[in-house]
Amino acid sequence: MCSNSSTGFSRGPALPEEIHLLCTLHNIGATASEKSLTLQQISEWATMEISTLRSYLQKLTELGYVQFNKAEGVDKYHVTINGIRKVLSIYS
Amino acid sequence: MKICMLTWEFPPRIVGGIARHCYGLAKALTHSGHEVHVITLDFPGTPSYEEVDGVKVYRTATELGHPNFVTWALLFNHFMEKRVADLNQLVSFDLVHVHDWLTAPVGVSFKHYTKKPMVVTVHSTEYGRSGLHTPESYSIDGIEWWSTYEASKVIVTSSSMKREICEHFRLPQEKVEIIPNGIDLTRYWASVDRWSVRSRYGVQPNEKLVLCVGRLVPQKGIEHLIRAVPIITRHYPEAKFIIVGDGWLKDHLEGVAQSTRHRWKIKFTGFLPDQEVVALTTSADVLVVPSVYEPFGIVALEGMAAGVPVVVSQVGGLAEVIAHDRTGVFVYPEKPESIAWGVGRVLSDPGHAMWLTQNAREMIQKTYSWETIAMKTVKVYEEVVR
Repeated sequence: MCSNSSTGFSRGPALPEEIHLLCTLHNIGATASEKSLTLQQISEWATMEISTLRSYLQKLTELGYVQFNKAEGVDKYHVTINGIRKVLSIYS
Repeated sequence: MKICMLTWEFPPRIVGGIARHCYGLAKALTHSGHEVHVITLDFPGTPSYEEVDGVKVYRTATELGHPNFVTWALLFNHFMEKRVADLNQLVSFDLVHVHDWLTAPVGVSFKHYTKKPMVVTVHSTEYGRSGLHTPESYSIDGIEWWSTYEASKVIVTSSSMKREICEHFRLPQEKVEIIPNGIDLTRYWASVDRWSVRSRYGVQPNEKLVLCVGRLVPQKGIEHLIRAVPIITRHYPEAKFIIVGDGWLKDHLEGVAQSTRHRWKIKFTGFLPDQEVVALTTSADVLVVPSVYEPFGIVALEGMAAGVPVVVSQVGGLAEVIAHDRTGVFVYPEKPESIAWGVGRVLSDPGHAMWLTQNAREMIQKTYSWETIAMKTVKVYEEVVR
């Protein structure tokens, strides 16, 4: 647990990596099916290995925060409404 | 008056209390004869323009992104600014009202190019929410300070927030007005079949429903309620716990719930639509608000409006909204034993619990209706447009 030196209460554990990725997806604008991105594109934005990315995306998809669709034979990912709410809860 | 209201969340883009606050205030201002234009961010499935209860709502798409949150926020401000500039050609606004730092850059630009005053409502601060410990948090803190510096008047929802920002941003006391959050009591007038709602969540008629509603983030203190579960169930084995909301701390909280060995008594529902939250709140035996940092704590008002006894941490705005043992029960923040005591205080004495809810309802009708809040806000507007 990390401590908040300004207000004195515990800030809880660090942000899980997959949630950090979810935030990245949200902040780069992959928030609707027409704005969905390929693994390669996400990897470049997130500076993350494809294999790691794939496992995080799978977890986020299972949790309902990310949805994938196949466009012209390519998997593309975007953040769902629940995913958007999850991200916004961090900043609000 | 023609009011330009800026907020990054507006229904159905609901994250915390800001969306509900902006909706309630905009609607009440419209009903009292003002023209309110809300400029906000887009949300899947919503139109880019619509009128909601007379409020004109413009949703702006952000065409550029960036992984860094602060950079992203500054980018969306650019697109909002374009929308506001276009709109300003058609509507001669009297002022701009900014809600929190997220839309402050648009508000400051508006003030300078229209020479119209800016009012900012500070709902919470980065300093209070999570402390200053990263470059981003220092940037956010800086933007928050900057918005209060540029504003003609600053509105906060509680005395504790006034103290916090006057100290932290070195603001003169007279620049800051306290106007509490409001509540739409009509939402709680619909009849709810308590037993049917409870059974949907697996709560039997003989069981006690202990409810907690809030984002799953550290400042909401939900971990302390979970740690209180074994103590509460020792005295009230019929108690069941429902936690409504989502947030990045969810996995951690589920782990804490597991460690209590009472995981089966605790249900995490995730995010629920507003109507369902109202139904569930109305059906609860007690609402716990275990926050560690809470500038206002609208969820406590919602509990009181729903006629449910509330047990709240004695922190921030919550300490001002509740009168201990008169309209609710105070407990110590971050103290599971104290939370358990507070829940017991309500569950052990149904007569006293009912008395608390009656007092609470009377108090919120007098003080926290949106009509009252809108009237106070208009006084601030009138002062700055003079």
